[in-house]
Amino acid sequence: MVSGGFRPEAEQNNPFSVSGTGGNGQSGKFVAEKAAKAAQLRPSGFTQGMNTAISQQISEGGNVATTANAANPASKLPSGEGIAQLLGAIEPLDSEPQEFRPITDGIDGYSGRGSEVIPRSLNPNNRQIENVDLIKRYLPDLLNAARIPGAPDSYKRMINSLMREIM
Amino acid sequence: MRWVENTFFDHLDKFGNSLGYENFGIAFMLSMVPWETPTDRDNFIREITGQDVKGGEPSNFNPDYLEF
Repeated sequence: MVSGGFRPEAEQNNPFSVSGTGGNGQSGKFVAEKAAKAAQLRPSGFTQGMNTAISQQISEGGNVATTANAANPASKLPSGEGIAQLLGAIEPLDSEPQEFRPITDGIDGYSGRGSEVIPRSLNPNNRQIENVDLIKRYLPDLLNAARIPGAPDSYKRMINSLMREIM
Repeated sequence: MRWVENTFFDHLDKFGNSLGYENFGIAFMLSMVPWETPTDRDNFIREITGQDVKGGEPSNFNPDYLEF
């Protein structure tokens, strides 16, 4: 048998030697199986490149490179002692829940607490005290202004009334 | 020296009488505002009280009225 050389009768030189199944032959079947396998390994819908990168990260292990605390819970969360300290620092504002207080809370003589719980700045008596302080401090000037020729009656009445208040 | 409009004491007269003597402290503070014109001040008083401005008008000034 002669080996080597060009043989016109060889299979590869036969133009009619075509697979009966065409593109769906063994070769095409193999490619389809590979594609299905790849899709199965890529359930997240990522592109092929992304999937490879993620797979690489998973196989390498460790934290995902990100600043989000959710991605690195172990590295950001305080320890058990830290949580205990944090909770210990938060004290209840009031032992009694506000929603259980009556609508008359803050008014003397009714259910609930009395007027002692109202902030001092909201106490109506404070305005009176402020008025008296101002009048006492500036009384000489206020009086002198009332003596200015042409001072209106309304101003003089007001000063007279305020003076009576502080006496 | 005579009573002059658009001064601290004029403002005090208008605010004190418009807001009520019980609000003298607030009237005092508002009188320290450098109001550009008496009209601006009076408009402000009308806005916050919903009433006309109370207090002496220059025509009503009476230099002889003083109890003390």
